[in-house]
Amino acid sequence: MSVNFTQKHKHEMITFENVTKLYGKAKALNGINLDIQPGEFISIVGMSGAGKSTLMKLIIGEEQLDHGKVLIDGIDMSTVKSKDLPYLRRKIGIVFQDIKLLPKRTAFENVAFAMEVSGHRKDKIDKDVPKILELVGLLHKKNNFPHEMSGGEKQRVAIARSLAHRPVLLLADEPTGNLDEVNAAEVLELLLKINELGTTVILATHASDLVNKINKRVITIEAGQITLEQATKGKYKL
Amino acid sequence: MTINTVTFYRIIRTGFVNFWRNIWLSMAASSVMIVTLIILSSLMLMFVITNYSVTSIRERVDISAYFKVGVTESQVLRIKTELERNNTIKEVAYISPADALKDFRDVHSNDENLLDSLDELGDNPLPATLQIKAKTLEDYPAIDTELQSEKYADVIDKVNFQDNRLVIERLNKILRFIVIFGVVLTVIFALIAILVIFNTITLTIFNRREEVEIMRLVGATNWYIRGPFLVEASIYSIAATIITTIALIPILMNLPEIFQYIAPNGVNNSFFGNNGFATALVNDYISNIVTSGHITLNIILLMFGQLIIALALSVTSTMLAMRKYLKV
Ligand SMILES: Nc1ncnc2c1ncn2[C@@H]1O[C@H](COP(=O)(O)OP(=O)(O)OP(=O)(O)O)[C@@H](O)[C@H]1O
Ligand SMILES: [Mg+2]
Repeated sequence: MSVNFTQKHKHEMITFENVTKLYGKAKALNGINLDIQPGEFISIVGMSGAGKSTLMKLIIGEEQLDHGKVLIDGIDMSTVKSKDLPYLRRKIGIVFQDIKLLPKRTAFENVAFAMEVSGHRKDKIDKDVPKILELVGLLHKKNNFPHEMSGGEKQRVAIARSLAHRPVLLLADEPTGNLDEVNAAEVLELLLKINELGTTVILATHASDLVNKINKRVITIEAGQITLEQATKGKYKL
Repeated sequence: MTINTVTFYRIIRTGFVNFWRNIWLSMAASSVMIVTLIILSSLMLMFVITNYSVTSIRERVDISAYFKVGVTESQVLRIKTELERNNTIKEVAYISPADALKDFRDVHSNDENLLDSLDELGDNPLPATLQIKAKTLEDYPAIDTELQSEKYADVIDKVNFQDNRLVIERLNKILRFIVIFGVVLTVIFALIAILVIFNTITLTIFNRREEVEIMRLVGATNWYIRGPFLVEASIYSIAATIITTIALIPILMNLPEIFQYIAPNGVNNSFFGNNGFATALVNDYISNIVTSGHITLNIILLMFGQLIIALALSVTSTMLAMRKYLKV
């Protein structure tokens, strides 16, 4: 199953221009160049510490870069004022590497929480949350607390939460970590489904064999540098 | 920044939830605030009452010059004009023998014997009088001396000066003490209140750390995150104001009687004349509140004043806590 992007946009959804990010003297990212088109499903593969999470943090403005430029929808991130950052983040969904579900809230409440933050009305929340939980196959667990759910279920609640405010871009940071093969494949299927519904997906993972099976663009980073790009623009290799 | 009603409601609701979650700490924070407000309010009341007393006594100070029998009215009025030119004198009132007699009859209207003997006398035995008020208390001795001098020896029979300056001086000392003591005590307790609220809010921030981090990452605005902490702090202030006001109601209800007792005829508007220490705030605000007869209005105004102070304290400490511990 391969997807072709013939649609021409004025600019890419995300552009990294020679991006370097330092933590102290250590280079978490070192001269990254990357274009991501709207509607794409891109996997970023690399070993632990390679810089995958850092790359995502730059996209949502959680960290500041040291050299280069990150453009989102043509806008230079360094020019986005901190008071406008929330509105950018509302267009992006994030599945955190450490899941970050609130332990004292049910699946429903965890998803609703993200919608409340964006100022959605209660009736809309009550209508949308069950739909999203259904999409991730967890409607029957809507009243369960995180500690009453399996690892894979928690991951799917986290995905549901990231989708609640209908983002145009989904950042999934290691959503299959700690999951067995079956569960991991299920989560991946879900992400593909979301992508098909029109959301751009960036998936960070160290499970290269998993993403190599899905015929999507894969980028490998090592020590903050892109070492392998398994696709040319617009057309994807196996 | 546009905040819609839904968001506004959520901010308020979260503030209340935070308040209830740490109910014991919240109560501690409110209590310190109550102590601060009670100290501040009762010292202000003490100040106002003492100041009222001073004014009432000050107004009763004057000098009366009694003229000799046979001095004509025009002579008296000439001296009156002369005295009025003296710039230490505020006002001179002329009381003619006829006026004095009338007053005397009014005052002693029950005393038949006295009035009878007055009638027998036929002639008016009362002298013409000038009643002099000086601009300041310090001016009285000089005026007294002048009236007793050679210059007026021919016409003035007797000078009567009620010297209350010592009493006034003492009351003023008390007043100054109340102000200093009040300011020091209030500042100390205000600092304690700021500290306690700072700690309480800091604890709430830590309790909600995870929540706040997620909120931030999924696109909460600055005020959506900060709002609930400010709401929580405002609840302390509102609770403290209500409780303090209830505690002060018995005193407030009795204020008109207290003032009646101090000065049965009331005092002039020159109330709070020149007490170097009296601050503009205390003068215009508190004095109006407590001397006007409207008890309900007094209570509401006093409550409002307390609320402003309480909010200022709690918002300050919350801002400090957020600046230090809340990464937004
Ligand atoms: N806040 C930080 N302060 C200092 N160093 C950091 C910080 N965050 C990340 N690093 C370092 O930056 C490098 C890249 O980290 P990053 O989290 O991006 O790796 P990753 O590819 O996501 O790894 P993993 O697969 O384990 O999640 C690592 O060497 C890490 O130690
Ligand atoms: Mg990571």
